[in-house]
Amino acid sequence: MEGMKNKKRTAAKRRSEMSYHFMVFPGLFFLILFSYIPMVGVIMAFQDFVPAKGLFKSEFVGLKHFIYMFQLPDIGKIIRNTMVIALGKMIFGMILAIAFAILLNEIRIKFMKKTVQTIVYLPHFLSWVVLASVVTNLFGLDGSVNQFFTSIGLDKINFLGSSKVFPGLIIGTDVWKEFGYSSVIYLAAITSIDPGLHEAATMDGASWWKRVWNVTIPGMLPIILLMTAMNLTSILSAGFDQIYNLYSPIVYETGDVLDTYVYRIGLVGRQYSFGAAVGLCRSIVGMALLLSANALTKKLTDQKIF
Amino acid sequence: MRKSFLTKLTGITVAVSLLLAATACSSQDASSNAGSEGSASSGADNGVSSEAGSEGSIIKVSMGRQTLQNVTFPDGDTYEDNAYIRMAENKLNIDITDEFEANGDDYDRQVSLALSAGDIPDMMKVNTLDEVQELYENDLIADLTGVYEEYASDYLKSVYDSYEGRAMENVTFDGMMMALPGTNTDSGPSIVWIRSDWMEQLGLNIDEDQDGCITIEDVEAIAKEFMDKNPENAENVVGIALAPWLTSGDPDGTFSMNSIAYALGAFPKTWMEKDGNVVYGSTSEEMKQALAVASGWFQEGILDPQVGTRTWDDITALLANGQCGITFGTWHIPDWLLNNVYALNSNAKFEAYALADANGKVNCKHNNATAGYIVVSKDFDHPEIAIQIANLFYDELVNSKELLEEYPEVASYVADGVDGSSRPFNIEVNSYTSLLDDYSDLERCLNGEITVEEVRTSEQRSNATSISAYLEGNEDATGWSKYHSRSKGVELIQTLTEKNQFSWLTPIFPQTTPTMETNLANLEKLEEETFIKIVTGDIDVESGFEQFVTDWNKQGGEQIISEIAEQLQ
Amino acid sequence: MVENRSFHSKVRVTVIYGIVLLLGLSCLLPLLNILAISFSGSAAVSANRVGILPVDFTLTAYDKILSDGQFWRSFMISVIRVILALALNLAVTVPMAYAMTKSKKEFRARNIYMNLLIFAMLYNGGMIPTYILVRNLGLLNSIWSLVLPGALPIFNVIMLMNFFLGIPKSLEEAALIDGASPFQVLIKIMVPCAKPSIATVSLFSIVGSWNDFFSGLIYMQKVENYPIMTYIQSLNVDIQELLKSGASSSALENVTELSNRNLNAAKIVVAVIPLLLIYPILQKYLITGMVMGSVKE
Repeated sequence: MEGMKNKKRTAAKRRSEMSYHFMVFPGLFFLILFSYIPMVGVIMAFQDFVPAKGLFKSEFVGLKHFIYMFQLPDIGKIIRNTMVIALGKMIFGMILAIAFAILLNEIRIKFMKKTVQTIVYLPHFLSWVVLASVVTNLFGLDGSVNQFFTSIGLDKINFLGSSKVFPGLIIGTDVWKEFGYSSVIYLAAITSIDPGLHEAATMDGASWWKRVWNVTIPGMLPIILLMTAMNLTSILSAGFDQIYNLYSPIVYETGDVLDTYVYRIGLVGRQYSFGAAVGLCRSIVGMALLLSANALTKKLTDQKIF
Repeated sequence: MRKSFLTKLTGITVAVSLLLAATACSSQDASSNAGSEGSASSGADNGVSSEAGSEGSIIKVSMGRQTLQNVTFPDGDTYEDNAYIRMAENKLNIDITDEFEANGDDYDRQVSLALSAGDIPDMMKVNTLDEVQELYENDLIADLTGVYEEYASDYLKSVYDSYEGRAMENVTFDGMMMALPGTNTDSGPSIVWIRSDWMEQLGLNIDEDQDGCITIEDVEAIAKEFMDKNPENAENVVGIALAPWLTSGDPDGTFSMNSIAYALGAFPKTWMEKDGNVVYGSTSEEMKQALAVASGWFQEGILDPQVGTRTWDDITALLANGQCGITFGTWHIPDWLLNNVYALNSNAKFEAYALADANGKVNCKHNNATAGYIVVSKDFDHPEIAIQIANLFYDELVNSKELLEEYPEVASYVADGVDGSSRPFNIEVNSYTSLLDDYSDLERCLNGEITVEEVRTSEQRSNATSISAYLEGNEDATGWSKYHSRSKGVELIQTLTEKNQFSWLTPIFPQTTPTMETNLANLEKLEEETFIKIVTGDIDVESGFEQFVTDWNKQGGEQIISEIAEQLQ
Repeated sequence: MVENRSFHSKVRVTVIYGIVLLLGLSCLLPLLNILAISFSGSAAVSANRVGILPVDFTLTAYDKILSDGQFWRSFMISVIRVILALALNLAVTVPMAYAMTKSKKEFRARNIYMNLLIFAMLYNGGMIPTYILVRNLGLLNSIWSLVLPGALPIFNVIMLMNFFLGIPKSLEEAALIDGASPFQVLIKIMVPCAKPSIATVSLFSIVGSWNDFFSGLIYMQKVENYPIMTYIQSLNVDIQELLKSGASSSALENVTELSNRNLNAAKIVVAVIPLLLIYPILQKYLITGMVMGSVKE
């Protein structure tokens, strides 16, 4: 960084630049220590990592673990599960959040609006550790939902123990947890729409539906697009905390996602190198997604994520 | 922006590779430091004479210990500091610290994390032979062959020898003993527990020859009677309730239909050799017959109409509420499960029976000889301490009364039944015949042939005391439980053994094969789901079972069988 | 025509109110259920007779918690962790975010730092290498293992940076002309102006540290060191697993002692109380946080 600039820097400027370095330093220290140093571990993915020999003496095996990964029938299944769950969460989550924001905007009783808002935002702040118990109480074999089913003469559904239903449960409960909080931003977008547009539409005799469709939604479109792009970046993370706290071997078929798989294989299963290989692939794809989403957002809305 | 980002990225890469080199040194330094701290730690000399520390200094021992939730210790005691630990520290002049402690599954994760860092505690428990093998292949654990030969007491050796080599064989890798195995005795069959107070009340009589054996028809008849007469006027009576998983890999599987299957010659969830071939018991013809019996019961209404959705807790509640008077389970369920029945109804009594096959024999299978393993770090300088700890807890503590006099707090631990997981090693080392040996002591004591003090093990002494109290009319719940488990349950196993009524199967205990790792969970799921459907009549017994066998083989079962066959060669 | 229209709009309004109310209830009832379970008798709980009101009202579960040493130890660990993490997060992120608002001209290394931040946000070294690092630093079992690895929440740095950028430049320039140093500008001008966003970032930090269970699971080698969410997570005992692992009869006795569901529910309720206490403040900064987190040029 030998700055051979034409402009001579004043002493004051140099001093303030030093100050900025000082301001960055504590953060940089932690960044290097806890983000960059562990990245060295990536070489594990190219080794047959033997813990006793350590990272620098284990034998290098090239792409062996990556080849093995793509040969595993499981991996396709897991990627599919991950995308199904993540996409499901994203699509239904956005639809419900947008719909809720539009409906909530119609509520004229201030007290009710406030109360409902208070309640629906709450689940977002609770940990999945806590909510897993709530979900189990509701959807367990003898939970309230199944008791209700029995009382109206339906068969019980083993929500937590059936491969068919489990992804739905995961998507549904996540949508439930997050729709309130996500609706905040859409609500903000709605209130920022020029009321004159609504008035004009009403003058033209447009019905409520028409106005929602022709005024409200187009007004929210930039935000919707931005949020879509942002959410797309998390398509490979289907929610470790949630699934980890709710799944069991019975539902691995449809409920096992990349993060839980890497955890189970790479840590509990002690296949450290293979776990690292899968993790690396996941990160690379995730990174590509985020970069393209950023570019896309910039193009579509003239804003960027970072 | 894009362009500059890429150039910067190269800059970052350079920075990172510099760091890489830097960490290489620092992390190795750190680990070697940690290593030396662990091994070269000789504490202050306190002059206490010891068996291990030849220099008279205290040797530090770090451990990985599997704990249990909800264990109640006397005030202030913990896993790391309790009467057992203090006794071991004092006796062997060591200082035990726990490097990690965790319950159940969490423990396996801690082992894996320690392994990933290549830095294990001086001694730790591992749960599977797969882990022992991996530690061995990583060259992290010590060969115990020599120290075992030299230090193990004769009694300890005789205990292991009672398994006729099966215990030691499991932990021997390339001729070296790589772990101290926990033993696993046979647990006997899944016992049919029937409410004897109800039978008395209704004037029912089974097992007239008093050999403890009854037939499937007997069970059916009793269940019908109980349902018709409903001795406790309960709502929604249920003849027989089974857990959703229906069968168990353990012979004594509680709330399972194992006893019915075994009586028909089927061994569900068991790998075994038959006519020179490896077979899986759940896919046998006999299993189909067992399912047919259960399915018939379901149609007749004897079997719980809600089978498949009743959870463990639900079935316990059925028994406790007097809705159901027959259940299946291991000999010790009175201690921890049927005690719930007694808690609600102190008149409740159970009788234990075994289900015999058509020839009057009770089919049962052996357990794997070992369960739980103690491994010693290669870097630990005193591997003999592991053997000495084993001597202390699995020989002296069991056999010597002086030890209990010397350590009264340990005696009170034994008397209060503080869980065995609080000992330094959370494994059991019992002789193959210990269950019945213990029983014979107990029986002789209750008969008055010997006094309580003469009973060999401390646990049995406390059992003898509470059972005598119970028989004298004391309504204490512990007495009720111990009477039912030790006297009724084990007595049944003793009678059957004595009269040579058992027909034993020795299964194959394969190591986890690659296909097992990937497919076994799904195969088990397929099995459990299909069996429930067959029993509840959702699918036909004949065609449904046939389809199951085909699917099972196709979905990896066949592959696993060939992998096991390979292991055996 | 007009009547018809107002009739339609009445129906519409009713339907809208109905749906909103229903969604509100859907979030409330499950939480009430767990609250009710915590106050119910264990018999009623195991029989699944508890809805949104307690059955056989009892305080025994809470009574038991009072004397549960481990629960409170874990609770306190989490409290201390939240405080430490908050202090550290702010000390690290606020100055860094401010420095990041400088242009390349004012701060030549700015873009290098920024790219380092972005790359670290995109890619992480994974669980095992991080674990080995924390272990080699000797942090296992220490509260610092829960605090230090998360000392720099990159996302928060970027959020704060965006907010600082929204503060009028003139304020800052005026101070600089008066001879204030960058540190003085940061403390005297930027921080007071950015109070709402600093509050938001703080709340994110508090909620995140309180709710995290996974680092406790990995870095804490003994149950006695578990933070509260890890402790709650470890309460779920699978009897079937225990049976499979060949647990001793006394082990099973301990686990099956009684249906613990009401006790566990009570523990959960107590464990979320701190969040409920700060919830009103949380809600106040909700919109700032949400808007800040996403939309910024």
